[in-house]
Amino acid sequence: MYINIMMISALSSIIKAEEQNILTRIIEFLTVNAKPLLQLLILPGLAFILGFAIFAVWFERKFLARAMLRVGPYYCGGRSGVLQVFADFIKLFMKEIILPASIDWPFFLSLPVLLSTIPSLALLFIPFDSNWVLWDVGSLGLPMFLAIMGISPLIPIFSGWASNNKYTFIGAWRVAYMYISGEIPLVICAAGVAIMAGSMDLVKIVEAQRSMWFAAPQFIGFLLFFLGIFIESERTPFDIPVAEVELVFGWRTEYSGILFGFTMMAEYVLFQAWTLMFITLYLGGYNGPVLLGMPLASHIFWLLAKFLILVVFIILLRCVFPRLRMDQMINLGWSYMTPLALLNLFIVIAMKYLGVF
Amino acid sequence: MKEPIIEPDVMRISWGPQHPMSGQTRIILDVDGEKVHKIIADLGFTHRGVEKTLEKRTFFGGIIPLDRMAMVDTANMSIGYVTALEKIGGIEVPERAKWIRTLVCEMSRINSHLYAFGLQAESTGYFPAVFLWTTVDREILLDLFEELTGARWSFNLFFPGGVHHDFPDGFKEKILKSVKYLRGRFKDYWDAMVENPLFENRCNGVATLKPSDALRLGATGPVLRGSGIDIDMRREEPYDIYDELDWHVITEDACDVMARTKVRYHEIGQSLNIMEQIALKIPDGPVKGRVNAFMRVPEGEGISRVEAGRGEMGWHIWTNGTSNPYRVKITSPTLRNMYVFERLAELDEILVADIPVVINSIDPWYLDADR
Repeated sequence: MYINIMMISALSSIIKAEEQNILTRIIEFLTVNAKPLLQLLILPGLAFILGFAIFAVWFERKFLARAMLRVGPYYCGGRSGVLQVFADFIKLFMKEIILPASIDWPFFLSLPVLLSTIPSLALLFIPFDSNWVLWDVGSLGLPMFLAIMGISPLIPIFSGWASNNKYTFIGAWRVAYMYISGEIPLVICAAGVAIMAGSMDLVKIVEAQRSMWFAAPQFIGFLLFFLGIFIESERTPFDIPVAEVELVFGWRTEYSGILFGFTMMAEYVLFQAWTLMFITLYLGGYNGPVLLGMPLASHIFWLLAKFLILVVFIILLRCVFPRLRMDQMINLGWSYMTPLALLNLFIVIAMKYLGVF
Repeated sequence: MKEPIIEPDVMRISWGPQHPMSGQTRIILDVDGEKVHKIIADLGFTHRGVEKTLEKRTFFGGIIPLDRMAMVDTANMSIGYVTALEKIGGIEVPERAKWIRTLVCEMSRINSHLYAFGLQAESTGYFPAVFLWTTVDREILLDLFEELTGARWSFNLFFPGGVHHDFPDGFKEKILKSVKYLRGRFKDYWDAMVENPLFENRCNGVATLKPSDALRLGATGPVLRGSGIDIDMRREEPYDIYDELDWHVITEDACDVMARTKVRYHEIGQSLNIMEQIALKIPDGPVKGRVNAFMRVPEGEGISRVEAGRGEMGWHIWTNGTSNPYRVKITSPTLRNMYVFERLAELDEILVADIPVVINSIDPWYLDADR
């Protein structure tokens, strides 16, 4: 999708300046598109996604090791083990990709690539400042995000099916059950936020939280959405589809080498996208005191700071929970989360109607 | 193994031997969605012919393969063999040797229960924090083993007529210190597991085994006591000095996975009490008489029953007057509990997600089941 946008903008600039030579065209393209390019390559784009994945993997290994009375990665990249992630990436890349005889190979090979790219599209709509949104679609921002996140669970289901293995099959259907029961309350919560802000434009939602974060009036929604981050990114206690001790590795069982690396990457991209959306909806997005008279930089700083604190907190929660069972998950989703989300929506509507907020 | 016919609308999963949680066995599951219809345990992957090996070895040399039957529960694996031989030959054991044997058996039991405890946490999907805590705490015991016997795992300590090593200097104080440390650590396990609401969700009411069924199917060890039946070989047929010590048998009435976990938890507490009492009250004296590595045992037949970490272990030994046994028959706790495990799907509703939880609640050690 990034490439598509770049291609479209490149084509349009080429058509505009037909008579100029190629060098001037490139320079003009770069100067006109400096900001989108920067966004694509650095902030909500590639560097941010990869950098976060590297940080999260490293932090998860090194700091959760302390909770387990271990040392963690110790030799690669000094005592902190920073380079271990890169070493593992090289290892995954060099490994043979094993293709079992009975797989549906076109799907089996192509789906892992989509796994991490489709959720990363959701980052297009996250506002880092009122004019630092990669793709400002106005009031379509929130629906687009939810639509992309609604597509993403289909890929594990298909890849579990394409692997043609009993464990991946069970894992794939667990994905289906879990996302259906977990995602509906999140959409209802997001609707509550949209109603309170009076718009589905993410920038307007953030601006509406200038005086008070929505976490305070919509505390139920805040908690449900926080739980939703765990469900959507398949983190403990909701790593039901990949439950290692039950299903080997769930829908990922047959993937090896770099394809497995893509599936791991997808988990972190989902985690990142949902956490950023959580901050945008409930924790005031990029709002914060302006530092050093630079509004843009301080907005980006505040969003990233909130993101980092939340990520560290969520990762550290991982080592204190066992996994839920599938029936308990469905029970949680339909008997507790959905009614509570509706209650939250009702409270929001009542507050809006009475003019409290 | 001839596989039984599959029912219609049921998928057959081969759970192991290459599976993160299966161990060296294969469990065949007939599942309909998440629900398990039938469990078939396909044992025998690690059959090493221990019983036959013992016939070819001297009474001293036989202890070495026996120690390797269950590495986490080394002492309890060989104590029954030694006890049965002493019964046949009428061999006198020095008083102090009996105390040391009991101490090592209890340390071995704690080691075994800690391992089971860690795996129980891991099987519910805990990130391996608790498993590694128990592993680190087992180091304390392994260090004590090393100091006493020179080996950490298979220490080959017992022989008919005594033990090979006496306490080194300052060992009693080390035992007391370790007991104190472990008691402090056990509060963490209680909080992380029994008090954890998500762990309770996974374990309460799962795989209920009624007391009548437990007796009928021949369950043993913590599985039997978790079903509320008060049987422990250490009390029923006391060997060594269990009848002189102050301890009691733990039972739980809930009959489910959580009950078995709690039984193990409280048994560790009892074992720590026993360790403490032994360190305080152990009498002085020799630990072995005259050692003859090619000792002969007169012709006869002997039975002993001992309580290993996983349950009752039965020994039936025939001797014919030579320096090695004529025939040895071992009844191992894991094999008995695996029969129970196979029937659990009929007795209670079990889901695929419950299988690792249930199998670790019976704490299998396939090397001891296959022998």
